[in-house]
Amino acid sequence: MDTFKLEIVTPNGLIFEDEALSVTLPGQEGEFGVLAGHSSISTLLEAGVVDIEKTDKVVESVLINWGVVNVDEEKVVVLVEGAVAIRGESESDVARALESAKELVKSIEDSGAAIATVSAKLENAAQKLL
Amino acid sequence: MANLKDIQRKIKSVSNTQKTTRAMKLVSTAKLRRAEELAKRSRLYSDKLNQVIAEIAGRIKCHKVGGIDNRCFIDIDNPKTVDIIFVTADKGLCGGFNIQTIKAVNKLLAEYKEKNVKVRLSGVGKKGIEFFKYNETELFESVVGLSSKPDKKASDEFILNSIEDFKDGKIDAVHIVYNGYKNMITQELHVNKILPVDTEQFECGEAEKSSMLEIEAQDEEMMLDSLVNRYVEYSMYYSLIDSVAAEHSARMQAMDAATNNAKEMVKSLNVEFNKARQAAITTELIEIISGVESMK
Repeated sequence: MDTFKLEIVTPNGLIFEDEALSVTLPGQEGEFGVLAGHSSISTLLEAGVVDIEKTDKVVESVLINWGVVNVDEEKVVVLVEGAVAIRGESESDVARALESAKELVKSIEDSGAAIATVSAKLENAAQKLL
Repeated sequence: MANLKDIQRKIKSVSNTQKTTRAMKLVSTAKLRRAEELAKRSRLYSDKLNQVIAEIAGRIKCHKVGGIDNRCFIDIDNPKTVDIIFVTADKGLCGGFNIQTIKAVNKLLAEYKEKNVKVRLSGVGKKGIEFFKYNETELFESVVGLSSKPDKKASDEFILNSIEDFKDGKIDAVHIVYNGYKNMITQELHVNKILPVDTEQFECGEAEKSSMLEIEAQDEEMMLDSLVNRYVEYSMYYSLIDSVAAEHSARMQAMDAATNNAKEMVKSLNVEFNKARQAAITTELIEIISGVESMK
């Protein structure tokens, strides 16, 4: 399967830069997935979870609060304001990441209904890791 | 012949100054490290954001996508009113750091004056504000304290007026002038035109023509609007961060130079002091010898 280059950039620096098989993004019009060779698109992202399928088929989840994605044929650049990666070596690491992710969710205002979905997704992502 | 006491006093005062400048240098070095770290991390985001904006602007220019007539992406040929925002430091003692920015602002002001364009000048940083107040140039908005401690919220509020006025058509361009950080010893002056998004550098090449812009959101205008807001806000914030890093590096250098100068001065004063001391001894000896001679 083809891969593409994925970059996730926050004001605090690069948090992900690697080849990926696919990525699922929380667009304003709903979730959408991107595979290699996707046509160019620029769109806004809402608060939600970005699922990255890495080359080893492991899925990594990153929570974001707002962002912009710029897709072209070989590269996907995701610009986000705030992001927390749900990952960790041990159970406690994952729990800690989940904690800070929840804090980020709380800080997102005026999207009442969406928060519940996002929280549920977070739990799911964490469950998979444990 | 200078008095021995006088020279001694001078030496003491110069070495005291040297102590002060050295301390200031150390403080700046420490602060620079932190500011530099922050600037470096933000630079990547800022670069990427600029890239995305430029790409969108370029595609809009090359394709005239979907009849988008967002003001932010269209070159305005005959501006009537423009906003100039400058960022200087709140404190002095940093060499030519502030004056360079002020000079660039003055140059821009003169250019616009020639074209009979009305300019609204806004500024961050005490030094620049003081300068323009002294010269009786009216400031539209001014903030003190933001340039030494950049704060995203405060900077967003500061720039908000300009964004809205631009969208309402009250102003036709927004420039940000600031002195940015290049490396430990150089600062780089930036005169950035942030609104409308600069599309001149964007050539409509083959690559741009082949890749279509597709904007997912139903409301294209809204997406562009919100993106432009973020872009301008972040540009403003980034200028502040970059400016702080540059300020500290400029001050570090200025204070280093001052410390070296003080060192030189103490050296030459010491030589002068020794000469004066020797002269005094010689005079005393001559006096004694001539006294002895006259007793014979």
